Amino acid sequence: MRTRQAGRRRHLFPLLCAGLAVALPAGPAPLRPAAPAPPSAHGPDHPVAAAATAPSAADLAVRFQALLGQHSVLAADLMRSRIRGDDAFAQAANAALGGNTDAMTSLVGQLFGAATADKFRPMWSDHIVALVAYAGAVAERDTRAKGRARAELVEDEQQLGRFFAGASHGRLPPKVARAAVVMHVNHLTGQADAYAAADYTTADRLYREGYQHTYGLGLTLADALLPAADRATLRAPVWRLRSQLGEVLAEHAVLLEDVNRAAVANTADFDAAGDTINANTRDLAAAIDTLFGASTARRFQSLWASHVELLVEYAAATAAGKPDRRHRAQAELRTFEHDMAAVLAPATGGRVPAADLSAALQEHDRMLLEHADAYAARDYRGAQDLAGRTYEHMFALARGLADGFGATVAARLPHGGAQTGYGGLAGVTEHR
Amino acid sequence: MPAYARTAALAGLTTAMIAVLTGAAPSVPRPGGAAPVAPSDPAPVEADGFRSVRTYTVVARPVRLRIRALHVDSALQRLGLQRDGTVEVPARPEVAGWYEHGPRPGQPGPAVILGHVDSRSGPGVFAQLSTVRPGTLIAVDRADGSTVTFRVTGVSQTSKTAFPTDLVYAPTLDATLRLVTCGGSFDRARGSYRDNVIVFADHV
Repeated sequence: MRTRQAGRRRHLFPLLCAGLAVALPAGPAPLRPAAPAPPSAHGPDHPVAAAATAPSAADLAVRFQALLGQHSVLAADLMRSRIRGDDAFAQAANAALGGNTDAMTSLVGQLFGAATADKFRPMWSDHIVALVAYAGAVAERDTRAKGRARAELVEDEQQLGRFFAGASHGRLPPKVARAAVVMHVNHLTGQADAYAAADYTTADRLYREGYQHTYGLGLTLADALLPAADRATLRAPVWRLRSQLGEVLAEHAVLLEDVNRAAVANTADFDAAGDTINANTRDLAAAIDTLFGASTARRFQSLWASHVELLVEYAAATAAGKPDRRHRAQAELRTFEHDMAAVLAPATGGRVPAADLSAALQEHDRMLLEHADAYAARDYRGAQDLAGRTYEHMFALARGLADGFGATVAARLPHGGAQTGYGGLAGVTEHR
Repeated sequence: MPAYARTAALAGLTTAMIAVLTGAAPSVPRPGGAAPVAPSDPAPVEADGFRSVRTYTVVARPVRLRIRALHVDSALQRLGLQRDGTVEVPARPEVAGWYEHGPRPGQPGPAVILGHVDSRSGPGVFAQLSTVRPGTLIAVDRADGSTVTFRVTGVSQTSKTAFPTDLVYAPTLDATLRLVTCGGSFDRARGSYRDNVIVFADHV
């Protein structure tokens, strides 16, 4: 019976949420993040709880997007670990997902009010519990349990769709809201089914589509739920670019960690994971082409490709037990960091100094190498902690780059209106 | 709730409590410092053959604009900037032009196509642009033979002195299209319309 089940799930969910927090910083994003503090979901160090000044609604909305995207990958990781029977990894993923839900609930409260947050949390928690139940059923090849989990997911989709539609005061039609949630759930269940069937190409395609859809869902919801002035701000080019560069750069971190997990474990899904990080690299290069043209994009991609290969090489050498190759990859990353900073700093018009960029890239690489090490040492909690911090760090870097890139491009845009008429239809156009 | 999840969650809770009580941060090895894991399987390392991609899809330049609802079918001239920093306009009133320093239609970002509303004696290629309705489809043919389609989302008319450069040209990664022409009243002293009409369209 639904009522009893829902009550039980809500009772259990706080346990799922316990553990380390994975949250995004609330204040303006520094390019060079401070030294990482021990994570805590509830203490004063929690980046959201510790916000001294109120960030703008647009800022919170972009972080809401980031947290939703992160929810998708964490949920997929948890479901996959459940399917392969990796309980230690599943435990760490559980904790990280709980931290993500805490952070998301906090943001919902800041964006849409405490009453909305109070309603959101149990519904979102039910949704996660049903996803875990689905993965468990897939792992155990229990058709009846899978059917029950599917039924729970459908109920949750209806409930969440009604909730978001209601909170939007009519701006988001219930059908649209539900369809967005349904697609999110289908991505996650679909990737779980494909993963269990060893169809890793499909699994990883859905993994990536799931991240992108859920990240975009954050904008859809913010656009429907926020006041008109905030919605207009969200659609302004500067905020779109911040959001979009954050999406593609944070996705790089997520996919790099996934391919390195497969590299370190030397598992059969490596090729699919490699194809997926390559798709992200193509998107990044296309973004640079949009901003600065093909020549800069080619230079960027050549360096970025080396960066990805060196990080994977480090993980591959770890799997092969070759310390010399690990050290060589680590050393060659220093060259990448320097060279890439030399390409990107001028693109920001000097607004982000090359030294700061180089340091930020070095920090990015350091965390990814540590992530591979933590995974190899089966320190999954440490790996999840690093994954969360790498995700945050990339958003901070993306914010600085988006603002620098945007200002550089803006300086060369056409001035004023276009002289596209000579008056032959003056009598007509004046009366339209 | 699967038994595994309860166990995992309780273990997670316990670990978190120990960390809070002891003030201990999770132990994370320094890169390069951790002992490599000896491969448990002598099979080749899957990742050894990995190569990162070094190409991306380059969108071909636009060569033709077609708007069936407005009976527009025009070749596209390539446009740059004039010396005063304003955008170049097409040389002929019956031909539209693409601003080539911006994105190509279908590439991430706002592609901009400009056309005259009229000549000194009659209609230009964008004579009816201000009448276009949301939902109208716009097709752009490209040099590689491909076609990209956009759907109109809105039309605005603004004074040239307050032209929204940001909304028309500023970079995002949304594949969008903007069509620009003249509108409003004609300033005979300056020989110029006072407004611009801007059509906003999204990639279909």
